Amino acid sequence: MTVPTSALPSDYAARRRELLAEGRVAGSVGGPGTSMRRRGLAALTDSWLRQVFADAVAATGVAPGKAALVAVGGYGRGELAPGSDLDLVLLHADRDAVDALAEKIWYPVWDTGVHLDHAVRTFEEARRLASHDLAVLLGLLDARPVAGDPALVGRLRTAVLGDWRASARRRLPELRASWDERGERHGDLRHDLEPELKEGRGGLRDVVSLRAVAASWVADRPHRDVDDAVRRLADVRDALHLVTGRSGNKLLLQEQDHVAEELGLPGADALLREVGASASAVTHAAEVTWRRALQATRPQRSRFVRGRRPVLRLLGPGLAEHDGEAVLTAQADPRSDPLLVLRMAARAARAGLPLSASSVDRLAADTPPLPEPWPENARHLFVELLGSGPPLVPVWEALDQAGLLDRLLPEWSLVRHLPQRNAVHRYAVDRHLLECAVRAAPLVRDVHRPDLLLVAALLHDIGKGSPGDHSEAGEPLAVGAATRMGFDADDVAMLALVVRHHLLLVDSATKRDLDDPSTVTTVADLLGATEVLELMSALTSADARATGPAAWSEWKAGLVDDLVRRTALRLHGAPPSPPPPLTPTESQLVAAGRLAIVAEPDEAITWTVTVVAPDSTGLFGIIAGVLALHRLSVRSAQVRTEGGVALDVWTVVPDRDHEPRSEALRNDIARALDGELDVTQRLSARDAGRRQPAVVPPPPRVEVVESASDTATVVEVRAGDRPGLLYRLGRALALMGVNIRGARVVTLGAEAVDVFYLQDSVGRPLSDPAAREAVRLLTDAAG
Amino acid sequence: MKLITAVIKPFKLDDVKSALESFGVHGITVTEASGYGRQKGHTEVYRGAEYTVDLVPKVRLEVLVDDADSDDVIEVITKSAATGRIGDGKVWCVPVDTVVRVRTGERGVDAL
Repeated sequence: MTVPTSALPSDYAARRRELLAEGRVAGSVGGPGTSMRRRGLAALTDSWLRQVFADAVAATGVAPGKAALVAVGGYGRGELAPGSDLDLVLLHADRDAVDALAEKIWYPVWDTGVHLDHAVRTFEEARRLASHDLAVLLGLLDARPVAGDPALVGRLRTAVLGDWRASARRRLPELRASWDERGERHGDLRHDLEPELKEGRGGLRDVVSLRAVAASWVADRPHRDVDDAVRRLADVRDALHLVTGRSGNKLLLQEQDHVAEELGLPGADALLREVGASASAVTHAAEVTWRRALQATRPQRSRFVRGRRPVLRLLGPGLAEHDGEAVLTAQADPRSDPLLVLRMAARAARAGLPLSASSVDRLAADTPPLPEPWPENARHLFVELLGSGPPLVPVWEALDQAGLLDRLLPEWSLVRHLPQRNAVHRYAVDRHLLECAVRAAPLVRDVHRPDLLLVAALLHDIGKGSPGDHSEAGEPLAVGAATRMGFDADDVAMLALVVRHHLLLVDSATKRDLDDPSTVTTVADLLGATEVLELMSALTSADARATGPAAWSEWKAGLVDDLVRRTALRLHGAPPSPPPPLTPTESQLVAAGRLAIVAEPDEAITWTVTVVAPDSTGLFGIIAGVLALHRLSVRSAQVRTEGGVALDVWTVVPDRDHEPRSEALRNDIARALDGELDVTQRLSARDAGRRQPAVVPPPPRVEVVESASDTATVVEVRAGDRPGLLYRLGRALALMGVNIRGARVVTLGAEAVDVFYLQDSVGRPLSDPAAREAVRLLTDAAG
Repeated sequence: MKLITAVIKPFKLDDVKSALESFGVHGITVTEASGYGRQKGHTEVYRGAEYTVDLVPKVRLEVLVDDADSDDVIEVITKSAATGRIGDGKVWCVPVDTVVRVRTGERGVDAL
C-alpha cells in the first residue's frame, strides 16, 4: 500500500474509500482478509495523522518531546473498523501552545467526515482521570503512540497500568458492575434476534473488559477459541458498517441478509448462529475469568488452613466445592468413571455452583463415552441436572463449551444458537429449550413422571433445526435421544407422543370450540391417559413461559386449564398394576413367617433387598430407616401383606464401598423393632450435615387418590427425594396408628413419587377425617 | 363513522377475521378479554374439588367503519361468530366523531 504524502483531508478520504472498496471482496468471516483490512485502515490512518501532526508542529512551533498524538481503544490496538470513530488523545506538556496545535490537528480530521473522539490532556490529567473513570482507563490500556514523542506515551501507559494493578482489588468490582449492567441493558448476543454487537453480552465491549482484567494480573483470560471468536465478531461488525455505511452496531433484521452476503454466509440464520457461537465463547471466557479474578481478590480468610491445604466440601464421590466452584478431587478418576460428567453437572447445579474450568477440561480430555443405552444411574443424574432450576443454564453452557454436550446429546447441535424468526420468541432455540426445563422444574410435583416432563421440556423443539413441521420432525429425534438415555419402550412412546403433540393443548384451547364435545374427545383420544395429559399440561405452561412475555397470559392459561379439566373428566388414570405373583423363595419365606432378609445384586449398580416380617404398625418406616442408615438409596419398592406377613421388595442403590449385607440389615431391623436402635436419632445426626439445594424446591404434594381401591385409602406423595424420606413418611403414619398395607415407591431423578395403601387398625379404609389427618402428617414429614 | 365492538368466543376469531377481510375491512384491533353475560360462568368438578369458572375467556374485537358499512359489518361478524350455543357473545356499534391516521394526519373517512 502506498503511503499518502499529502496531509490533505481529501486525499486521506479518497484512499480510505479505495481501501474499503478493495476490502469488499476480502470477505469471508473469520478469514484473514477482514482483519487485514482493519489493520490496513489503521496503518493508512496512522501515516496520514503523522503527516497532519508534523505539519501542525511545524506551524505552531511546539518543541519536540512536548506533545504526542495517541491512539486509544480499538484504534490503539491497531485495528479500525470501517465505521469506527477515531479515538485520539493529544498528550502534551506545553499548556501555552497546545490550543493552536490541537486546532491544526482536529480540523483536518473533521474535514474528512470521519467521526472523531478527541481529548487534550497532560500526563497528570490523563493519569488522574484514568484512576477514577473506567472508560478512560480501558481506553488508555491500549494506548499507542501515533505521532510525536513515543516516550511520553510509554511513560503514561506504564503509570496507568501500574495504578490499575495496584488498585485492582478495589476497582475490579466496579468493572464487574459495568459488565453486569451492560448485559442487562443491551441484551445478549447468544440469543437476541437483533444483537447489539458491541455493547451486548458476549460482544466486543466484553472483550475489552476481559483484557482489562487480564492486564490487572489478577487472573489470566483463556485464549483458546476466544481470539478467534473476537475476530469473527469484529468481521460481522465491519460488514454491518460497510453495508449500512453507518457506525451503528445493532444488527437489525433488515440488514441481516445483506451482512450475511457480504461475509459469504448462506443467510441470516447462518449469520446469527455465527454471532451466537462467537458470543458464547466470549461469555464463557469472561465468566471463567471473572470467577478467577473475584476469587483472587476476595479477602483471604479461610481459603487455606493448616499447611496451605485448600478447604474442600465434598459434593459426592470425586467431587467437592472449592472456593465457590465445583471441582474434581484428587481421587476423581474420569478415565474409569464415565458417569463423572453427569454426576458433577447434577451435583453442581443442585448446589448452585459453577463448574471449575480446569475440571471441565479434565473431563473433556479423559472421560470415556457412556455405554448406550445409558445405565440407569446416568439417566437419574441427567434428570437430576435438568430439574435443578436456573443453575442448570450455566452448568449446561460450560459442558457445551467443552464439547461434552455433543457426546451426551448429539441432537443438540441441530438447534445450537438457532434463531427463531417469530415475534413472541425471546430466545434462540437452544436457550428456549433450557429455559423450558428451568420452568418445568417447579412443576415436577404436578405430574406422575417428573423425569419424562423434564426430558420432554428439553427436547420438545428439537425438531426446529430440521425441515418440515417441527413437532413431527422432533418426534424421531426425541425417540432416538430417549432410547439412548435408556428409557424403556413405554416411556419412549409417551415422550414421542408428548413431543409430537406439544402444541395440541394451546392450539385446541384457542382455536376449537371447547363446548363442542368433539374437541375434548379428540384431545382425549390422542393423549389416551391422565398421565399424558398431566405431562402435556405442565409442558404447555413451561413452554409458554420460556417463550417470552407475549406468549402466555392469565387469559390463555385459563383457556388451556379449561380444556385440561374437561379432558381429564374423559380420561382415567391407568389402574395400578396388580403385584407380581410370589416367587418360590418368597412363598417359602412368607410361609415361615419370621423376619428374614435376602440382599442380592441385580444389574450393574442396583440391588434387590427382600424383607419378610410379621406385619406390625411402623414396620415399613423401620425397614426404610435401616436401609437409609446403611446408605442404600431406594429406587423403587413394592410392599404387600399376605396373611399377616409383610413382604417388601426394595430396589436400592448402594453408596460406593457399602455393599448391602443381609446379616447386618437383619440385625439392625430386629434391634430397631425391639427399640434397641434409635433410627430417628441416628438419621437426624446424619441429616445435620446435609446440603440444602440452591433453588428452593416446590412444596411436597400429598393427595388422596379417589376411588383407586375399595379396601384401602390410597394416598400419593410427591416430594424431593432425600435420605430417610420414606422412613419419615412411614413413621408419621405409624404414630397415627395407620397400617401400610401396600406401597409403590419410585425415585425419578431427584423426585420421589410414593403411593401408600392405608388401612386403620381393624383393616378398613380410613375415615375422611383420618385421611385428611394422614395427608397433613405426610405433608409435614415430606417437607 | 362508527366503532363496532364485538365480544366473541376465542376460537371464532379466525373465522371472523377472514370473513371481515373478504368483506373488505382492512384493520381490526383484538384484545384478550374475560367476563360473563347471561351464562354467568359455571361450576365444574375436577379431581374431587369444585371449581367455579366465573369469568369466561373471550376475545374483544374493534373495527372502525364508514356509516354506510356498519350494518353489513355487524351482520358479517354476527354470522361468522355464531355457534348457536350460549356464550356466543355480543356486537355493538357506537358513533365516532373523529378518526386521525397518526402517520399522515388524514382525518375522517380517509383515515379508515
